[in-house]
Amino acid sequence: MKPPPFAYAAAGTLDEAVALLDEAGEDAKLLAGGQSLLPLLAFRLARPSHLIDIGGVEGLDILEEQDGSLCVGALVRHATLERADLSGGWQALREAASLIGHLPIRVRGTFGGSLSHADPAGELGVVAAAFDAEIVLRSLRGVRTVPARDFFLAPLTTAADPDEVLVEARFPTPGTGFRSVFEEFSPRVGDFAYASVAAGCRLATDGLARDVRIALGSVGPTPVRARDAEQALSGSFLDDTAIVECARLAAETCHPDAGDWHADGTYRKALVSHLVERALRRLGAGP
Amino acid sequence: MSAPGGGLIGSPAPRRKNRELLTGEGTYVADIRLEGQVYARVVRSPSAHARLLGVDTSEALRVGGVVAVITADDIDDIRIPIRLPFAESPEANAVLQAPLAADVVRYVGEPVAVVVADDPYVAEDAAELVSIDLDELEPVLDPANSTESSQPLVHESFGSNTIGRLAYRYGDIDAAFARADVVVRRRLRVHRLAAAPMETRGLAADYDPGSGVLTVWGGAKVKHFTRALLSRVLGLELTDVRVIEVEVGGGFGTRGEPYPEDILIPLLARRLERPVQWIEDRWEHMVATNHAREQEHDFELAAGADGRMLGFRVRGWCDHGAYVRTQGLLPVVLPMVHLPGPYEWPAFSMDLDAVLTNRTPVGTYRGPGMTEATFVRERMVDILAAELEMEPADLRRRNLIPAESMPFSFMPGPGSGAVMPIMYQGGDFVTAFDQMLDGAGYDRMRVEQRQARADGQHAGVGIAAYIEFAAVGPFEEVEVIGGAGNVVVRAGVGSLGQGVETALAQIAAELLDVPLSGVTVEFHDTAEVPQGFGSFASRSTVLAGNAIAAAVDEMKAKAAPLLGCGPGDVEFRDGTATAPGDRSVGLGDIGPTRGRFEKEGLTASFGGAVCSVSVNPADGRARVDRFALAHDVGRAVNPRLLRGQLAGAAAQGIGGALFEEVAYDEHGQPLSVTFADYMMPTAAELPDVEVTIIEHGSGSNPLGIKGGGEAGMVGSLGAVANGVADAVGDGAEVLTSSVSSARLWHALHRPRRA
Amino acid sequence: MAGWLDPHDSVAVTLTVNGAPRKVRVPPRRTLADALRDAGFTSVRLGCEHGVCGSCTILLDGAAVRSCLMLAVQGQGHTIETVESLTDGDELSTLQQAFDDNDALQCGFCTPGFLMLIEGLLRSEPEAGRDRILEVVSSNLCRCTGAVPVFQAALNALAANRDDP
Ligand SMILES: Cc1cc2nc3c(=O)[nH]c(=O)nc-3n(C[C@H](O)[C@H](O)[C@H](O)COP(=O)(O)OP(=O)(O)OC[C@H]3O[C@@H](n4cnc5c(N)ncnc54)[C@H](O)[C@@H]3O)c2cc1C
Ligand code: FES
Ligand code: FES
Repeated sequence: MKPPPFAYAAAGTLDEAVALLDEAGEDAKLLAGGQSLLPLLAFRLARPSHLIDIGGVEGLDILEEQDGSLCVGALVRHATLERADLSGGWQALREAASLIGHLPIRVRGTFGGSLSHADPAGELGVVAAAFDAEIVLRSLRGVRTVPARDFFLAPLTTAADPDEVLVEARFPTPGTGFRSVFEEFSPRVGDFAYASVAAGCRLATDGLARDVRIALGSVGPTPVRARDAEQALSGSFLDDTAIVECARLAAETCHPDAGDWHADGTYRKALVSHLVERALRRLGAGP
Repeated sequence: MSAPGGGLIGSPAPRRKNRELLTGEGTYVADIRLEGQVYARVVRSPSAHARLLGVDTSEALRVGGVVAVITADDIDDIRIPIRLPFAESPEANAVLQAPLAADVVRYVGEPVAVVVADDPYVAEDAAELVSIDLDELEPVLDPANSTESSQPLVHESFGSNTIGRLAYRYGDIDAAFARADVVVRRRLRVHRLAAAPMETRGLAADYDPGSGVLTVWGGAKVKHFTRALLSRVLGLELTDVRVIEVEVGGGFGTRGEPYPEDILIPLLARRLERPVQWIEDRWEHMVATNHAREQEHDFELAAGADGRMLGFRVRGWCDHGAYVRTQGLLPVVLPMVHLPGPYEWPAFSMDLDAVLTNRTPVGTYRGPGMTEATFVRERMVDILAAELEMEPADLRRRNLIPAESMPFSFMPGPGSGAVMPIMYQGGDFVTAFDQMLDGAGYDRMRVEQRQARADGQHAGVGIAAYIEFAAVGPFEEVEVIGGAGNVVVRAGVGSLGQGVETALAQIAAELLDVPLSGVTVEFHDTAEVPQGFGSFASRSTVLAGNAIAAAVDEMKAKAAPLLGCGPGDVEFRDGTATAPGDRSVGLGDIGPTRGRFEKEGLTASFGGAVCSVSVNPADGRARVDRFALAHDVGRAVNPRLLRGQLAGAAAQGIGGALFEEVAYDEHGQPLSVTFADYMMPTAAELPDVEVTIIEHGSGSNPLGIKGGGEAGMVGSLGAVANGVADAVGDGAEVLTSSVSSARLWHALHRPRRA
Repeated sequence: MAGWLDPHDSVAVTLTVNGAPRKVRVPPRRTLADALRDAGFTSVRLGCEHGVCGSCTILLDGAAVRSCLMLAVQGQGHTIETVESLTDGDELSTLQQAFDDNDALQCGFCTPGFLMLIEGLLRSEPEAGRDRILEVVSSNLCRCTGAVPVFQAALNALAANRDDP
């Protein structure tokens, strides 16, 4: 379980990273926190020709609100995100980060690496989907922005081209009163979740739920929004009937082929319904 | 006979090794660096079952830094033998494993070639370039179906996937069922598990052409057997082979048996005349090192309406994987001798098949056979209790073999095969059972359970009682060398991280009346220690401990003429041998003394576990909130170390029940090859295991000790499954030893059987 | 721009280990764990080489990380601590002593990794509560003890440090 050979370069700046990536060609890969790439190399499931280490690139670790969005830089570590001083609307982001693996993994693992790795069980992708995050990609060809729903294509596959660096993601700031939570089921503390849910809504003064967002992880090839469930809940009270119905509809969103030998699709579907209920009850219970 | 008094034996002396281990100084086999050392990488079968048409090593040989590549063509046609005579049979001997596959590969991970290079990274690169030409065959994957005629054969030349059927008849089983008021019958499955010590296996071997001596580091458990095997297959004098045990990161029954690599690496060292190191990686470990436990049993239990258990019939299939390895038929023999357990059955009838499948071979893992048998029997006892609406503890107590009936035996009756008779030398099971319940606070557990249920929770309490056969012979030998201020004990057992050296030092120190710090225990090197059978079946302290007692007696005999008295008058005081009238000689003047302890058969000891469990039906998660175990160790040499062993074993068992499973897909591809997939429990998933040590002595050896290193495991699968079953009540039937959240959720949402 | 390092070329990397600079020559693919072991820091143990068991845990700039999931070349310019740094002369540290007192080790293979994991927590979150300590202790695996005694040792060591900082 030793990594296969590859050429290596460390980039000092984003420009350098982009240039090196372009130069190295199709089979090159970026190395950020290494918490997904190194295990892949150890099992020789990845055989990049070149690795470009972006760990030392300046300026990729921003975490602040700019122009109506929360910008999360590619090099923000999970451990930083979980402790970040963010307003209540971003609670799901913090909770999601805190559930990734174990502390030593979170100390190294990065936000950009997590989205780029595109594991369907990755918590951060689920939050990105829930918040309609815009993902910013850069290459020698220029900068482009891809919405989360178009970014995740399949397990370990994104819309980013081989020469593109994920620079940051922008989470549009939700309206006041919006709150969000993250719930998941993992067999042991720190395991990849069998199912996860990012849920958020704004409870208007009339007590009705607005701007409902529900996204699911580990139940299909990519994170998925439970649109029917969101719609059903929008404009209604967060009461038992509505919660149960919303949870049922959310479970219907699960991909029919989801699941593996640890946890098959039927079981995951039941977990989704249970987790959505739990998430909505937390939202209903107030801050 | 030296009469051991109070003092060091029975004291919670601290572990000897700890300081070295806490500072990171301990040397494990991967830490060994020898001048000019090269690194081996084993090329393994990617297929579960295929004809091996050819192995092309040419490309690998071209890689810079590669020193050698060998295949089956380059070595003698040998098989790795069964280590224990009582676990052999002609059938088992027909399906032994060769170090490298020659014509057919029979499980994913089977060694096909070995690459040696000057760097482990390069060895791995080159190993990938060895090209294996395979003609795929249908794999056999289900033990219970493996014997059907429609199934392909794992070993074509053997002609069957059954390598033996053990039959054991006791009493009149038909009469027992005829007079039964109640019969319960279920098919129970024990899932495949792996011991998965934190350190993988590894070896370093060096051959010195000058002296002709081959030295192998990384031996463990059965060093002397490995040495004899190597001397035979490599054509070396026994005295020219040294097997050295370095620090070992856990053994649990799997590590230290001679595997294919234990022959291949020394062979390469000898052939290349260079030191060769091989360190198993985790993926390899999960396919190459023995698996354990997988079996299926059809169990029928007959009882009277009053709860008297009248008899059982069991038909079982015990998987051995693709080959029989060094432990022979133990995967079928051990469940058999443990199935009856501590109950006074008037009759039973057991038929167990040893079967083959195209998966990694099965060996022993801590509490082997007994853990599986205890799960099966104890689950059935609870199913009976539910049927009779009896309290599970009461039902058990009513059926335990009473102390008056000891010694007790279930002698095999007509219709039995050549089986080992099941005999219990002694013990008071009823008292011990109640000690266990008291220790666990069983009544309080039940009260808390009722309260939790009243609060709407799914709370359960599970019990398992068992018999453990341990401390197997045939003998151990030690050498005791007295000196000024220091006594050296050389023993043939292994350490494997259990702390046996501390226990042996305590015994020697007490018997010779020297301070604990004045005893050194050596067991690392076959060149220095006498013969030994090794560390398995919780035998090390029992056998080597009593051998020390024998050596001490021998020292008295040797000291007597020096002191001019009879051996009976010699006493050890303060590091000297003394005789009445103040005459004394130093221990160093007596000279090295050997002691040997021989033991026939196995020592049976009673034990059990009680746990409380909570289940969340929404996600299927079961949590073991409390786990209390009790075990009769005869006499605890070091209660502190013993508690650690018992609690650690229980933690493994709880993990095995809740999380761990070695799984395969429908093509025989292993699925549990990472630690993300083979899920061992962490501190967050485990309760603080509570231990009650029972000391009911044992007439069968002078020190009165029984085994203890494995016992914490034995009741675990059964107790957890019973606790879960109790928690879910009518909601689900628990018929597998795995109660993972997914399994449990499915059981809870499956339509119930009629 | 930084140049490419060829797959099979070795480069000199200076690792600062336990306060002293260590020069190692490594090809790019060599893991930090292997480089440390080759440099004699064999307390860095490899139990899985894929980030799950935690036997290889070290402190990198004061925080616990898995050294099997880093390349040696990534260690350049960072401060590394291994278990060899915990002992002050012959004295075991409070944490090491707590392991001994709570029987938190048997075979000892996982021990250095656990010690560094908890050492990191002691330093960065001295006020950590029971749940947090349990969560962090669950980062690593101990097959011999199940790690509940390790958790107990961590609780005791954190409490002792608070009483006597
Ligand atoms: C034991 C263990 C448990 C884990 N548990 C979880 C878990 O529960 N949930 C979870 O989500 N993750 C988990 N992870 C993975 C962890 O979250 C990783 O940190 C994350 O998936 C990848 O981030 P990284 O910075 O380590 O990326 P790397 O490993 O460095 O890279 C991952 C991939 O992303 C690419 N990449 C990295 N950065 C960029 C970028 N800026 N632009 C374009 N491509 C980029 C790389 O080329 C590579 O293909 C676990 C890992 C381990 C070892
Ligand atoms: S060896 Fe690094 S986490 Fe297991
Ligand atoms: S002490 Fe052996 S793995 Fe922890």
